[in-house]
Amino acid sequence: MAVPEGEQDAREGLFGFLSRRRFLKAGLVAGGALLGAGGGGLLLLRGRAPEVEGLQLLDAHEYQTLKSLVEIMFPRTDAIPIDAESMDLPRAFDEFLTGEPQHNVKDLRKALVLIEFGPLVFDRQVSTFSRLDREARLVHWNGWATSESLLRRQVSVAMRKFFNLVFFDHEAVWPFIGYPGPSLRRGRSVRQ
Amino acid sequence: MSMAITDLSKDLIPDAVTTEICIVGSGCGGATAARLLAEAGREVVVLEEGRDLVGAERNQRDRDMYDQLYMDRGGRATSDLSVSVLQGRVLGGGGVINACDVVPTADPVLAHWADKYGLEDFAPSRFGSFQEAALDDLSASRIPESLVNSANNKLRIGAEALGYRGEVMMHNRVGCQGLGTCLIGCPVHAKRNPRMVALPKAIAAGVRVFTRARAVEIRHPGKELKELRVRTLDPPGYHEQGELTVRAKVVIVAANAIASAQLLLRSGIGNLHVGRNLMLQPQLPVIGFFEEEIDAFELVPQSYAVTEFEQEDNEELGLWGYRIEGIMGTPGIVSTLLPFSGAEGMQDMAQYNRMAASLLLAPDQPSGQVEVEKGGRLIIRYAQRPDHQERLREAVYNTARIYLEAGATRVVVPTARPVVIRSTGDATKAHEITFAPASAPLISAHQQGTVRMAPSERDGGADPDGKVYGARDIYVFDSSGFPTSASSHTMTPIIATSRMLTTKLLTQLR
Repeated sequence: MAVPEGEQDAREGLFGFLSRRRFLKAGLVAGGALLGAGGGGLLLLRGRAPEVEGLQLLDAHEYQTLKSLVEIMFPRTDAIPIDAESMDLPRAFDEFLTGEPQHNVKDLRKALVLIEFGPLVFDRQVSTFSRLDREARLVHWNGWATSESLLRRQVSVAMRKFFNLVFFDHEAVWPFIGYPGPSLRRGRSVRQ
Repeated sequence: MSMAITDLSKDLIPDAVTTEICIVGSGCGGATAARLLAEAGREVVVLEEGRDLVGAERNQRDRDMYDQLYMDRGGRATSDLSVSVLQGRVLGGGGVINACDVVPTADPVLAHWADKYGLEDFAPSRFGSFQEAALDDLSASRIPESLVNSANNKLRIGAEALGYRGEVMMHNRVGCQGLGTCLIGCPVHAKRNPRMVALPKAIAAGVRVFTRARAVEIRHPGKELKELRVRTLDPPGYHEQGELTVRAKVVIVAANAIASAQLLLRSGIGNLHVGRNLMLQPQLPVIGFFEEEIDAFELVPQSYAVTEFEQEDNEELGLWGYRIEGIMGTPGIVSTLLPFSGAEGMQDMAQYNRMAASLLLAPDQPSGQVEVEKGGRLIIRYAQRPDHQERLREAVYNTARIYLEAGATRVVVPTARPVVIRSTGDATKAHEITFAPASAPLISAHQQGTVRMAPSERDGGADPDGKVYGARDIYVFDSSGFPTSASSHTMTPIIATSRMLTTKLLTQLR
């Protein structure tokens, strides 16, 4: 028997906090600021995003926002000389979304818009997130974690949880953090 | 065992199934009840939203295992995202993904329940035999020294140097190979959990199990024959794809304190107490960084507890105070707890094999509520009380001193504004932690309350037999019924409680 039409999946999930009512409330504030900047101007400000093939749910702009985010979350360092770009973490996010309830996906898209226009909305900078240089982007993004706004802190927590889990679960990272990988795979066996 | 398990995402199923007893949830409460009822000759169907994930399918990878073994793919949380709510979603339930800690309910807590809450069957003299049986189910034993991991040993070294009481914990592993990935499933099945003990016995006694089966509503709660609307899920368990009806005379809800309340509320069953009195027992992680490599990803991740500050006989509240328990996880999950982004975060994770982490566990008073929106969508509301915050601050202070005593170069509390402690003088920084919503990585692994048992309908959602007030033959056999925190770890109390309630139910069914 099929699921009755119109009945929703009642799951919550990592991004469930972005429920419609709460998000809209915060969104109104953000929206006001955006309108102040001028609707057409916003599109200009954002510019064009490069086409990305094979995405299931994200569009090119959303992909670009996430790409800009993971660039600053996981920079290549001496300690971990890995290019996050090679892992295509935004695509992992796109795959993740295909398994989420529709209401989460919908609200999450709004959150991505808010991240992209965050510098303008929250810091009064005439720039989008993706267009900030890396240093400025990191400073701006760190502001989300300690913001007075609960919504911004929540978005920061959820994004960090998702992307950290995926990045550090990747075996390319393990040699640089002293993790030899799943114990069973390397024949670990300790007897009582 | 697989012959008696029907995976509703794959197997052809009828539109309806009829049974005498339907149990929702295959974890410690549900599996225990299923086994005892079937062994007594009753006809039982068990519904489980997760699937049966065994052996090498438990691949020790964070991303795959949180996705498949945990509710909401590991993303379940309170509505304000302040507390991450860990709940199993796999055949065997929480017992498959827990840290195997065996901590029975202390006698003073049981006496407190009997005296203050009128739950006389929990008096130590009556309940003791059920706890003994639960310990037997679990093959409970002390963790051998050879399996205590280095993060836990750091905690022990520091605690002993400061003269704090502590202990190597009890567990339910047999044949443990020290693989270290208990929190994302044991691929060699060393855990004596419901999946390995109660369910095989239940199935041998005739129980039918449906996996990828999400119970969404119980209809006709006042009639002799109830109908459960069950949604079948797709193979990865992401989306609902079909529907099945299970008809049963007796329904036992044992889906954990969150999901059990959600199902009752969605069905409009029960009184005003249903969903209330939620205890999450939120835990705060603290990380000690050491100069030497300690490789804490190996051996038993949670094996030593500082019990100095725990109080089992608080006259007013029962279990109180706090305890400090060593813990370690695989890189993915550890990284989600770290507060830094960018180069600083990378620098911290580069020291993964030099980290020793602890979880600070403080029992809470009922401070939350499970609600459902129209359409059944879950909302977990929780407001951390000031007394809970204060105990966690004190726990941070003492944990920092312990790690520094053990040789840590710094201790980090991974709040949004991280607290970094490098000397005992710094430890007072613990008192600056604010616990603003979504600013501290609080974790709940022991949800309790929501359908509190009480002798009177005025004081609880279920009677002392676990029977939901206002419904006919609908029971709750999990941690939902606990009036206060049963223990620092709920596996043993749930099994013991389910044993007791099932024994009483069998008497009534005769």
